Amino acid sequence: MSDSVQPTASSNKPFPVVSKPFAPDDEAALREALKRCSPSTFEAAVQFRKTGNADHMPAVVIGVIERFVEPDLRAKLKDADDDLRLIEDLGIDSLTMMEIVILVEDVLQLTINNDELRSLRTVGDVKTFIDCKIRGLPLPRPTKFLPIEHIGAVMPVEPPFLFLNEASVSSTGANGKYRITGQEFFLQGHFKDNPVMPASIMLEALGQLAVLFLLEGAPAEPGKAIGANTIYFTGCEGVRAHRMCKPGDILTLSIKPKRTKVPLATFEGAIRVGQEKAVIAEEITLTFSYVESAVAPAVINGAAQPVPDSENSARPLRVAINA
Amino acid sequence: MPRVFITGLGFITSIGNDAATVAGNLRALRHGFELYPPFQKPEIACKVIGTIKGFNTDSVDPEDWTYPEGYEIKRETIRSMAPHGLYAHCAFLQAVADARLGEDDISNTRTGLYAASAGSPMLTYFHHDRLLKLGPARSSPVGIVASIVGTLNFNLVAAFKIQGASCGFSSACASSAHAAAYAFDEISLGRQRRMFVVGGEDGNRDAILPFAGMRTLSLQTDPALASRPFDVARDGFVGTGGGVVVVLESEDEVARRGVAPYCEILGWGQASDGYNVAISHPDGAGSRLAMDNALASAGVAPGEVDYVNAHATSTLIGDVSEARALRSVFGAGGARPAISSTKALTGHGLSLAGVMETGFCALAMRGGFIPGSAHITQLDPACEGLNIVRETLPAAPRTVLKNSSGFGGANVALVMRAPG
Repeated sequence: MSDSVQPTASSNKPFPVVSKPFAPDDEAALREALKRCSPSTFEAAVQFRKTGNADHMPAVVIGVIERFVEPDLRAKLKDADDDLRLIEDLGIDSLTMMEIVILVEDVLQLTINNDELRSLRTVGDVKTFIDCKIRGLPLPRPTKFLPIEHIGAVMPVEPPFLFLNEASVSSTGANGKYRITGQEFFLQGHFKDNPVMPASIMLEALGQLAVLFLLEGAPAEPGKAIGANTIYFTGCEGVRAHRMCKPGDILTLSIKPKRTKVPLATFEGAIRVGQEKAVIAEEITLTFSYVESAVAPAVINGAAQPVPDSENSARPLRVAINA
Repeated sequence: MPRVFITGLGFITSIGNDAATVAGNLRALRHGFELYPPFQKPEIACKVIGTIKGFNTDSVDPEDWTYPEGYEIKRETIRSMAPHGLYAHCAFLQAVADARLGEDDISNTRTGLYAASAGSPMLTYFHHDRLLKLGPARSSPVGIVASIVGTLNFNLVAAFKIQGASCGFSSACASSAHAAAYAFDEISLGRQRRMFVVGGEDGNRDAILPFAGMRTLSLQTDPALASRPFDVARDGFVGTGGGVVVVLESEDEVARRGVAPYCEILGWGQASDGYNVAISHPDGAGSRLAMDNALASAGVAPGEVDYVNAHATSTLIGDVSEARALRSVFGAGGARPAISSTKALTGHGLSLAGVMETGFCALAMRGGFIPGSAHITQLDPACEGLNIVRETLPAAPRTVLKNSSGFGGANVALVMRAPG
């Protein structure tokens, strides 16, 4: 297993989904293989094997993951979004990941290489990965988890006007967190003796996450990169604030791209605090332009370097043999 | 040198799954044998084994296994276990409770674990067969750690977060006696304060049947007659499995924690026959020297020994060679310790035997009895001249010697003494 193998490069081959007719013997074997999974998982697997319809795949994958998660953690998976993390949130270690893979391979009749596994960190990563395998699409770039140092290095804004503490970026969107400390300068006046996070600042935070997506997650065009200093806010529609946010609250931000075509990129965005909705923005629009990729990614002040990608993506999803 | 004490015991054996039941059955000479369903076939001449009750570990998938209420084991812990790993895990929990150990007492750099098992032939076969038929990509990532020799220590050390010394011992039927002996050394050399000594065997078809290939198993169909060490009509051993854990602690730890030990381990000795890969030395040369070495190391004269828990497995050659060794060690000075083989009740636990029977000796010292050597109808004349007790004696042994022997002519003897 080589560290230099690029998952996207090695596995871009279509998979023969339905190689032979689904026989009663196959159904019995499938039932045995999935005997500890929910009935709906088995049903979805049967449908997939009979029709090759990839729409059944997420139910199979989630059902298999659920079967390997300790019972007291399964609730998390029930109402999980795609950002639920396999290791940190579900307690899945690298050996369990192998067990999941073997069962998924067996049930969906596909082959997964160890190299391809290493970058799968969230439930969404797994679903997207399997979907691409089945449809023979190029594998997406894995979710990147960006620590604050990296965010500070690539963003065109900086404290005290940076409203992201951490973020993750995938090819389908970005997620971030910001904790309202109470020390923010604008809270001194907003409001009098009653610090409440301004809704306009919360939109700014979503906008910043969208900027981060453009810089770190948007599909690149050959020889070109989006210039950090070319991105500006142009518009926002369908904004509703549902909840006051105060010092101590941790804002969970998410954006998903709707269209990205130079010079405009539109996103939908949402902020939650725990499970509560705080802000919805149906459409946030940014303007941007490309620069020669030699000058990108943008480096603020020419000082800090982005964290090398390998550090983020080389997660321990390979079996750690201690022998 | 710090003195070393036994402070906790845990048992999953053919004669009981807790110390009280085991002690009761030892005292009453109730055996744990049954006709074993997988052996009730014409091509298998051996019919009886010492069965583990309350567990079902027939499946190659640990998630299918059932075990008694009161134990709770997570999937991520049980998935890499062999059947004997489950038995030993349960015994470990018993031993921890018996020794009144807290989490901090178990997981620290001065507490270690030595284990002995022969691995899991059932799981070795299953995983290897799958590997060759379906290829590595369809093979379980825990196939190796569940099946190879060492599976017992890998799993227990991880499950209970042991941070001190850990190691597995492989000297066949002397293995867990070696584990106990070297655990004693770890403490008496001041390296560790506490050691868990663990023995385990699957005791199922795949673990026991290979001994039929050696023609060393009893072919008796009557469970009450199959295992009868020292009897003239004995015809081989009866296999068994299980898991046993013995907790050893330094005298400082015993004093600090204020626990009452079962007994002290005074010393041990070993020697090898240098004779045959599988057959005992006819005169028990290695066994005799191991006992001599153990007594010398313990500073105990042969005449002080009240009870010998023999290795005797009920094989034709082995029992006689041990009897000769015992006569040589004790006969010269006229010492007549009570001698019995508790394998008449449990069957032969193979790698598990040494620590299981060490645990039995501890129970006997605390319980004030010497278990009889059951099922002897007519003593083998070759074993005459020894005080082989056929009934349980209601007397507490003060000084006890425990013999173990394994393939290759490995012999180990441990010397223990009741407290006070």
